[in-house]
Amino acid sequence: MFGVNWVGLLLPSAYLVVLVGTFMTFSTVYRRRKALQSANLAPWFGPHLQRNIYLSLLHMQPEDGAEKGAPRIPDSVIRAALMRRAVEDIHRIIQIRAAKAACSSLLQRGSVGDDLWQRFQRAEKEMEDELRDVVMEANALVPGWGQIIFQSANEIAANKVLRDKLEDIEAQTEKEKEWWEKRRAVIQSEFMKELDNEEKTQTKAASVTSAASGDEPVLVDTNVPSASSPTGSKKKKGKK
Amino acid sequence: MSDQDTFTFIPLVMDPKSKAISSATSPTSKALEAELLALNNLHRSLHGLDAPHVVPPPPVPVNPKRSAQVTKLRESGNTEYRKGNHAEAIKFYTLGLQMALTRPPWEPSQLVREEVHQLYSNRAQAHMQKQNWVEGAIDAEASVACKSQGNAKAWFRRGKCLLEMGRVQDARNAVAKALEFEGEEGGLAELKKEIDAKLAKDKVVEA
Repeated sequence: MFGVNWVGLLLPSAYLVVLVGTFMTFSTVYRRRKALQSANLAPWFGPHLQRNIYLSLLHMQPEDGAEKGAPRIPDSVIRAALMRRAVEDIHRIIQIRAAKAACSSLLQRGSVGDDLWQRFQRAEKEMEDELRDVVMEANALVPGWGQIIFQSANEIAANKVLRDKLEDIEAQTEKEKEWWEKRRAVIQSEFMKELDNEEKTQTKAASVTSAASGDEPVLVDTNVPSASSPTGSKKKKGKK
Repeated sequence: MSDQDTFTFIPLVMDPKSKAISSATSPTSKALEAELLALNNLHRSLHGLDAPHVVPPPPVPVNPKRSAQVTKLRESGNTEYRKGNHAEAIKFYTLGLQMALTRPPWEPSQLVREEVHQLYSNRAQAHMQKQNWVEGAIDAEASVACKSQGNAKAWFRRGKCLLEMGRVQDARNAVAKALEFEGEEGGLAELKKEIDAKLAKDKVVEA
């Protein structure tokens, strides 16, 4: 009665095996791919040069202290390096804040992929850790510096922007001056020519009245440009 | 998170005398070089701090010494200008600008803008009196770059200088922008009319 029909069961069990096998392969492959993707996500920002410099300087210290005669990095340099690092952080915070609204609205509309959002969130989190780290380092170097380092860094960043802009504007002076000199020369020469033309027409008018027959061909020659003085001045412009 | 625990070691050396940091390897990237220069400059300016401070103090209570000097230079410039010594006035304004722009970088940038925009605007006026239209235009542009709102005089001077140089279209653009910032300001509106008239005349001549 309980004789199992093994041959009859073979087909369903094979079906089950194939089904489960497919599911498992799919899920492992899918998961592995996803993990790989998130690990390979490009970082939002490039390498943090200022942070690298600061930490490099910090790590040079103990070694150099052990070696006799090797110069020790003074604290003031370390402090300056930390300040530079804070300034760079300010730039990055500004970028993140500017990108945040745009990024989230683009994501909602579906204009950008999920991975961009993931990269962004990772950058945000890293930034938070970075700020905390800088504050801790600052407090370790000088008690109480952590509260004000970012205020100072903010001003340094803003001042840098302002000064760059002013320098850009001032740098135009030479070029503009050159242009203006040329332009003024052109205007002056045009003005002089106009004066000349006027004089010529006057003298011609005088010569016409007292014209001898021998003067006539010359008169015709000079009369043509003076009669159409605007076209003449245009030609000169073209040459310049 | 592994990013937060690791860093790229950059081989650096320090000049024992000047304490200047430079890269240990000779072919360096431009970014690193620029950064090290900025670092050394900042280090040097940190040395200029008054004795009790070893780090920049908070920006808000400003050391009044420099502001007083800048104000004094501007006042001297104004007096010279009123006397008609425009060259002298320009010299004073330039000194004042140097003084204001070499303010330590951690002091409030808003203050720098405030001081610098007045000096630039005044210098533009002095240049205009000497008929140096180019310098006047540049100074006025710098002034409005520092402070674009509530700076009608500088906008007016920029438009005027450009007009004098015959750059009518540029002048028109500048004045149009100025009117956006300033609303209907008497002098600017008049200048705009003048420019429009000139444009119309030029068009007639072209045709």
